Amino acid sequence: MTLALDLFVNGLIFGLFYALMAVGLAMIFGVLKIVNFAHGEFYMVGAYVYVLVSMKLGVSPWIALPLAALAGAGLGWLVERTLMRPLYAGYGSWSIMKDEYAVVVTFGLSLLLINLVDKIVGPYPYRGPALIETSRFSVGPVMLNGQKLIAAGLSVALLVGLALFIKRSLWGRQIQAVAQNRLGASLAGIDATRTTSLIFAISGLLAALSGALLAPLINPSPDVGAFPAIKSYVIVVLGGMGSIWGAMIASLLLGVLESFFAVYVSYDYRDAFGLLILIAVLIFRPQGLVGERGREV
Amino acid sequence: MSGPGNLWRRRLATDFRAALAIVALLAVLPLMVTSPYTLGILIVSMYFAMLALGWNLLAGFTGQFSLAPAAFAMLGAYTTALLDYHAKAPLALGISAAILATALMGWLLGRVVLRLRGPYLALTTLSFAEIARVVVGNSHEFTRGDQGLNVPSLMESRVGYYYVFLAVLAAVLALLFMLMRGRAGRFWLAIRDDETGAESRGINVVRYKTLAFALSCMVCGLAGSLYGTFSQLVSPELGLLLQTGLVIAMVVIGGIGTLTGPILGALLVYLASEWMRGFGNVQMIVFAALVIVFARFFRTGLWGLASSRLATRGGAPAKPAPSSP
Repeated sequence: MTLALDLFVNGLIFGLFYALMAVGLAMIFGVLKIVNFAHGEFYMVGAYVYVLVSMKLGVSPWIALPLAALAGAGLGWLVERTLMRPLYAGYGSWSIMKDEYAVVVTFGLSLLLINLVDKIVGPYPYRGPALIETSRFSVGPVMLNGQKLIAAGLSVALLVGLALFIKRSLWGRQIQAVAQNRLGASLAGIDATRTTSLIFAISGLLAALSGALLAPLINPSPDVGAFPAIKSYVIVVLGGMGSIWGAMIASLLLGVLESFFAVYVSYDYRDAFGLLILIAVLIFRPQGLVGERGREV
Repeated sequence: MSGPGNLWRRRLATDFRAALAIVALLAVLPLMVTSPYTLGILIVSMYFAMLALGWNLLAGFTGQFSLAPAAFAMLGAYTTALLDYHAKAPLALGISAAILATALMGWLLGRVVLRLRGPYLALTTLSFAEIARVVVGNSHEFTRGDQGLNVPSLMESRVGYYYVFLAVLAAVLALLFMLMRGRAGRFWLAIRDDETGAESRGINVVRYKTLAFALSCMVCGLAGSLYGTFSQLVSPELGLLLQTGLVIAMVVIGGIGTLTGPILGALLVYLASEWMRGFGNVQMIVFAALVIVFARFFRTGLWGLASSRLATRGGAPAKPAPSSP
């Protein structure tokens, strides 16, 4: 029983970190109907900016954290400006193969960023400084450490902030409008292009923060993004492609399920487990847990 | 005698002749190149050319953007290796089994993903590829896991191996040309350009999509099986997503939706990457950047650029790219 509680809480915490990644991916899908295969690299860039700024410049990790977020937002914005425009600006000869263009370009971007960082920073993993240094302690039966707790708290704050932003703010409502109907939104006077830029910036920011918060726990190396990226594909599919709320729920669910699966079923196959869920959901329930019917038939 | 059908036929014939010219060039190359090291590099680049051709059949001709070509190469290689390891089966049997097994698995995968398109298809095939790799890498008692399996070699001679790969590459090319010239090719292109439209005109979309999957995966499996016997070691690394990325890079740079493009791309990218090793391993940075630039600005790849240049110079009006008929 105590083991189960420990697994549950730790699974929930990992679910929170997954959510930071997956929500951005879901937003991009919601607006452009593409999967960003470079999403894991936003995470990786965030982790590296955090580690390198705090270690090489010797500043406090509390300053490095917003810098990492800024770098992620800038990267997301840049990607949208330079690579995503052909998807909706209606030029270029990829028009009959938009989906393929998106896969090729984001896949290429992912390879480019991984290898660039590998070349510039080096292939060896770095260990980032923790936001606060504590040893592991237990709360009841649950083993935790300070970094994990603070990162989880910040994640909750970010997710709540994002939810409020989407629901309440003008920009958030514009995002909802563009996701529902791009043409309709632009007819109503919403700058759909600027909104798409904003979405990429937010996605980049959240993914980079996720990487930065986890940097002391995961020791970033150039290919560190692959693993959380695959998790977020599973989550986005499970939650219903494009649904932000679905992604948040699915993140927590996957975090808990995985942590139980790894202990009670098989540790070796824990990474295959989520992918099986992905295939099963796409085939049997393509609209996901809560999402609208999103699949093209 | 001039209609859109004939235009496509002429274009395909030019495309095939150019691809044959590359094969012919490869056939005389051992007369000049004798170093076993260089021959080895050329053999590996022919392996990638087969993967590129196989993937291009699905992605370029049928519009089914799979992310599993490297996984099928791994599965083909493992079929041969496991038959040798557990049953001491002769290689001829092992390679035939690899062809059959990957064709069957490709057919099954095609059935499963039949109704998925675009990003959904990409994610499902990516998951299939990763699951296959995780399962092969973790079944320690059956596949020896990440240690990999040793495979006997087909022959000692490097030049012999070179011609085996070349013959298989030429056979795959000829098979694809015949298919693309005939009914199947037309149907695949129709499915790629407008699946609903194709279905409404009476094309059996289910049959032709699964056929494309089975054939494409079979070509990848055969390539992997041969590569396994050449390198004499089969490991789960064959199925890494990075390898799929490399194949996509080759096809996009060479020219997607053509016969020459994948071969040209595979040879150029692999040879250039060997050459760039001397400059501090920058090859993957260069190729990733090239893929983005080509996808963004030169959708038709090198072969598309070259063939439209040829067409313009020949006095004929500039044709649209061969891949978007």
